[in-house]
Amino acid sequence: MGILPDEIKPAMQGIFPSHVVTCSGDGIPNASSISQVYYVDADHVALSHQFFNKTTRNVRENPRALVWVINPETFETWDLEVEYDRSETEGPIFEVMDMQIEAIASMVGLKGIFKLRAADIYRVISATKNAAERPHP
Amino acid sequence: MPPNDPTPDEGALPGLREQIAQNQQTIDRLNRDLAKKSNEVRIIQQISSEITSTLDLDEVLVIVLRALERVLGFQYSMVLLKDLAEAKLRVFASRGYEPSGVGAELGFGQGILGVVAERKRMMRIGNIGASIAYLASIRARMEAAGDITPGGAAAPLPGLAKAQSQLALPLLVKDRLVGVLSVESPKANAFDELDEIVLTIVANQAATAIDNARTYQMVEKLSRLKRFFSPQLAELIVTGGADDPLKTHRRDVTVVFLDLRGFTAFAETAEPEEVMSVLREYHAEMGRLILEHEGTLERFTGDGMMIFFNDPTPVADPAKRAVRMALAMRERVTPLCERWRKRGHELDLGIGIAEGYATIGAIGFEGRWDYGAIGTVTNLAARLCGEAKPSQILISRRVASDAEDLVETEPVGPLVLKGLAKPVPAFNVVGLKR
Repeated sequence: MGILPDEIKPAMQGIFPSHVVTCSGDGIPNASSISQVYYVDADHVALSHQFFNKTTRNVRENPRALVWVINPETFETWDLEVEYDRSETEGPIFEVMDMQIEAIASMVGLKGIFKLRAADIYRVISATKNAAERPHP
Repeated sequence: MPPNDPTPDEGALPGLREQIAQNQQTIDRLNRDLAKKSNEVRIIQQISSEITSTLDLDEVLVIVLRALERVLGFQYSMVLLKDLAEAKLRVFASRGYEPSGVGAELGFGQGILGVVAERKRMMRIGNIGASIAYLASIRARMEAAGDITPGGAAAPLPGLAKAQSQLALPLLVKDRLVGVLSVESPKANAFDELDEIVLTIVANQAATAIDNARTYQMVEKLSRLKRFFSPQLAELIVTGGADDPLKTHRRDVTVVFLDLRGFTAFAETAEPEEVMSVLREYHAEMGRLILEHEGTLERFTGDGMMIFFNDPTPVADPAKRAVRMALAMRERVTPLCERWRKRGHELDLGIGIAEGYATIGAIGFEGRWDYGAIGTVTNLAARLCGEAKPSQILISRRVASDAEDLVETEPVGPLVLKGLAKPVPAFNVVGLKR
């Protein structure tokens, strides 16, 4: 039995942006907004790696991170403690994410320009459902 | 929950009760899912038996999309089929859309449907609006930074203008892409994993049925075209790789007429079985030579045949090809004639060749279309054939000039030919140049 329940899946469709909090090797925290946290399996999630930014750099120095997602149907929010595991540039998860990005990119005239670099896979350590709340302004 | 449930440990009670209630909820949900699933499986079986019982493509598509809406509740659905020659999709049927969008085309890699076709993998997306907004903002940033030139908005894609959710599945037959099945919704997150499972089964069934119907259509068209064209060409036309030659067009062609001298007398005196056997032998040999030289057999009438070159597919040196084929035919028919002569039949080959513009296309009426050419050129070739003495190959001046470095000719004529106002110079082909 994995950590992530089925009821969290709607929160991982990218309807509302999610947030991820990381920390650099020397202890400087960073919070950033991400468009979608992908459900991999009951113990793993994936974040798209399109640009090399603070999040991608931090987790390579310090793998622990906190992810916050919203279920758009119930407005329940979830805190996920995660740990960066690996970065994939092929395979089923990468393909699913890459296809979506390519399809949308082709619709806004960014085909071949905006691409998925990698799927960063995180292991889920814990998932906590918070009381229903409105999304952040 | 009963309030006075007797339990030994009062302190552990709330947690336990909550756990039991939760378990019951889970069981109820699973039961509902299961009931829904088995109902859907039954429905799918019904759809499957309906669509596999017809070979009519339109009917297959209507059945599938109607069932998606009425039985499975998908309001907006469409089927796009892959073009047989190029990497593009065309909307063949839709349901729920106004206008229907049927006929709209899109290239592989374009939008959700195009990417699904290109990768031959299903895509389920529930946040189209948010994703587009996100990438549009990135685009705006890149434009502002001067990394890309502004504009370049993509062409509108078939489907809902403001779709939020889409589930698109490749229609595959043994890993070969037949088309794409798509359902859409203006609501976000409208489709889930169960929809994926159900539609995958429908898509598999539909792919096979569509492919069978399409193959049947093609075989029908192919057999019609194979009456006139070589099998390779007929296939090319059916798959869209060549223009449909049955559409009327004008083309510079070389026309060859041939017939057997003495055939009418032979047919009058010989037994019909004997006539048929001679014709079969003659047709088989001539047919082989026509294919070998890439000629187009327009028609046979008893012992007569009309062949042309440079249509429907352009060929290099049509006049030379025609002359070369005529020489090969003469060579092949000579021993046949000797054999027929031994059996008492005086038969000999005569050939006429001319070159010029003709109007070519389908001639006839619904249910009985023929591929034919009309023009002075066909008339001239027929008349030259009529004038040819046994074993002669008579060619027009243009053919003679085009084939002059290939064959030795001798002038005959000018000939006064029926249907032609002026006497026409003509040449007899003696043989290949040494």
